[in-house]
Amino acid sequence: MDRSQIVAGIDSGHVDTKAVVMSGGKVLGYASAPTRLDPATAAGTALNGALADAGMSQSELAGIVSTGIFRDVLESPALHVTATVSEHMADARGALFSNQKARTVVDLGGNVHKIIRFDGAGNLVDVAQNDKCADGLGIFLSTAAHSLGLSEPELSELALGSTGSHAIAIQCSLSAQTDATDLVCQGIAAADVARAALGYVVERVASLCRSMPLAEEVVVAGGLAQSAALVGQLRTALGVHLSLPERPQYVGAIGAAVRGQP
Amino acid sequence: MPPKTARAIIEYFRGVTEDPHAYARSLQQKGQRVAGYMCTHVPEEVLYAAGIVPVRIITAHTPQAISRSYIHETYCSFSHDCAYQGLEHKYDYLDLVVTASSCIHMSEAFNVWVRFAGFQTKSYLIPYPHIMQTKPARGFMVESFAEFKQFIESFAGRAITDADLEAAIGVYNRNRRLLKQLWDLLKLERPPISGPDLATVTLAAQVMDKAECNRLLEQLVHKLAGKQGRAPAGVRVMATGGACDHTGVLDLIERLSYPATLVFVDSCTAARYFWFEVPEGRPDKLDAIAEGYLSRIPCPAKDVVPGTGEKERFRFVQQFIEEYRPDAVVCLYQRFCSPQPMDVVALKPILEKLGIPSTDLELDTTIPLAQFGTQLEALLEITQRMAPGG
Amino acid sequence: MISAGIDVGAVSTKAVILVDGEPRASAQTPTLGPEASAAAAFDTALARAGLRREDVRCVVATGRGRARVSFATRTVTEIAGAAAGAVRIWGPSVRTVLDAGGESCRVIHCTERGRATSFLWNDKCAAGIGRSLETLAGMINVDVTGIGELALRAGESPRLSDFCAVYALSELLDLVRSKVPAEQLVAAYHDAMARRISTLVGRAGVTKSFVIVGGLARNAGIVNRVDALLKVDRLAAKPDWDPVFTVALGAAVFAEGFSR
Repeated sequence: MDRSQIVAGIDSGHVDTKAVVMSGGKVLGYASAPTRLDPATAAGTALNGALADAGMSQSELAGIVSTGIFRDVLESPALHVTATVSEHMADARGALFSNQKARTVVDLGGNVHKIIRFDGAGNLVDVAQNDKCADGLGIFLSTAAHSLGLSEPELSELALGSTGSHAIAIQCSLSAQTDATDLVCQGIAAADVARAALGYVVERVASLCRSMPLAEEVVVAGGLAQSAALVGQLRTALGVHLSLPERPQYVGAIGAAVRGQP
Repeated sequence: MPPKTARAIIEYFRGVTEDPHAYARSLQQKGQRVAGYMCTHVPEEVLYAAGIVPVRIITAHTPQAISRSYIHETYCSFSHDCAYQGLEHKYDYLDLVVTASSCIHMSEAFNVWVRFAGFQTKSYLIPYPHIMQTKPARGFMVESFAEFKQFIESFAGRAITDADLEAAIGVYNRNRRLLKQLWDLLKLERPPISGPDLATVTLAAQVMDKAECNRLLEQLVHKLAGKQGRAPAGVRVMATGGACDHTGVLDLIERLSYPATLVFVDSCTAARYFWFEVPEGRPDKLDAIAEGYLSRIPCPAKDVVPGTGEKERFRFVQQFIEEYRPDAVVCLYQRFCSPQPMDVVALKPILEKLGIPSTDLELDTTIPLAQFGTQLEALLEITQRMAPGG
Repeated sequence: MISAGIDVGAVSTKAVILVDGEPRASAQTPTLGPEASAAAAFDTALARAGLRREDVRCVVATGRGRARVSFATRTVTEIAGAAAGAVRIWGPSVRTVLDAGGESCRVIHCTERGRATSFLWNDKCAAGIGRSLETLAGMINVDVTGIGELALRAGESPRLSDFCAVYALSELLDLVRSKVPAEQLVAAYHDAMARRISTLVGRAGVTKSFVIVGGLARNAGIVNRVDALLKVDRLAAKPDWDPVFTVALGAAVFAEGFSR
């Protein structure tokens, strides 16, 4: 394998499409684009963005490796996928890339969250994914932030400052939002509502984590891992150290590029 | 120091509902054995006769997702909370946990305790007939109670005599009569106690040693005798439905922006718990207990007159409406409960015919105060025929 | 006689100023905090009417956040508001009002004078329909006001779960893997949500005349489908009346009455 080859990895998720350009074991460029129910177009946009970030053109790529839920539908005249990798494999490889001691990755995506356990070589040991009622955690946080007139980073920031103990129902995103709205209408401070919203997400993820033994070290990945407040609350809930990569939302794309190198 | 005033006694009961564990442990500290029960179909008298105090498992109102790995997402929140408390070892101190086969959600919460929460060797499930209004039901119950009695004798290491059972029946009937006496006070022109307070007292009774509970109830009856409270204000509201151990929901009814008075609560955690008696002085004690429990206001999970689809429970609901004269009815049920909402569908036409407006509140671990408040206030507006333009 | 109604809804807050029985001005703002949003909507409507707070004899607040509006004289529920508002706009033939808001849907029965006589609130599993459409619109980067039109354009569309918006959205996302175009997916989602809403209306029962108010009344994709499912004559939307303000108007009508 020629490690100086330049490979792109595209992680096509329910909500966002993430792309990286890698060579020689280094990430040269990153970009993401909202999937918008049109994976092929989003993949093109994200790829172009990553290439621009890397200062390269598509013709320099030795391969384009896709992963994510929509990995099979990215093909277009403008984009030829050379290999696909399952999300679980991509996550495992991507986690190892960021931390060689990683043996578990908790992937917090826009619609689905999962836990993947693997060995030092990146071979899968076990996988757990949320059940249907717990779908949409990322989408819920976006909605919750919007309902408070905040961006997601602002919601996260605000939540950090709350010591409130208001709870919302831990049933599904619908109940969580209904309860959050009710709290707002009761006049509860936005910071406390923000914290409760994060609390819903954390509790859901934590309960999935409890369904299988976590092998350390545990990496947190996915878009939601960009929230310091969320990761902090999750650490507390799980009582285990969480390794946080610099750009957690790119773990899958990196893993695809690493894994799928011809 | 025993509580002195009526208010102090009520607050003592409230304290028991807020920390049932502390209360149950205090019984154990006095050397008593304590058995948790998850369903009021359990013939508590059999336990009591063996010197074991039955304590109802009530919810902790904790939003959590742990139980979702053990019972299905779409099981009611009451069962999820009970399962959670078992898994988190909140009730490890219990000597025994007992339930009767009634609704599947609670049965599975019980199974979680048995399989995953360490109650394998200290649990008992009492098989109950699916439908109570059938000929074989009574015989089935007597046989089932007999097996239960044998298990308890072996568990407690002592025989349960007829005298033990008769004594237990006496204590329990006394409890039921005292509670009924207190709820009857709500029929007065100026009741000396409120509906929400009575609901709290009744909930506490389900968690307490009945002998002690009776002493306190007697004191409460004595202190309230001849006292006059305020006249019921505004709309008279009756609550009917399933298990509701969240006192905040009932309190809300009397804290709305229109005056309203909670005049009766027909629910699993209120009137249905005590609105019956076990016949006393019978030669066959287990048969007497079966007869008593068969005469209870039926739980919707077990209430279908075969072949007709009729619900015997509604006979009682109509009786309560006649006696307590509500102007409006609130139907309470746990989200994802099956039997209760089905009852509501059948009950609504009866209420409509009686000209009584109603609304449904779906209960969960959390209470959406703003939304519930709106539904309740809308009910009051409708009952008072509030119209634009005066 | 000047009165005002403020509807502090779960998703947005609406204010209506009534002058001698006629709506003079209105304003809508997202609900970010009941007191602040009520003040913002009220003051904007006042500015549009060329009036000041002191000119208003009586302010009635309604909606989920009504208890927090400190400057309201009184409150009424959105049930009462919907009945009063609908009859004021569509006249005394109205008997059934579907108030389809951002967070919840309610069916209200009323008299010819706009007095509510019964209501049915959606169950928890049917919550958030309006908001979920906003989310879907955001996902495809379309304005929520246009998403209903998009839904009208598609022909055949696949069937999604109508039990729950979370399931419906997850199924919709899954269909992307089968390369179903976005337009069809949006149509399918509208189908599912319209079925959900129609089930609620069916349970409550419809007595003519029937009207739809609230934010979702602006969504032609939903309204057309609900019409087709219910097969009940519905009084058409008024060309000069935005249905989202109907409940706030009803509150203003109550305010009129309280002023006398």
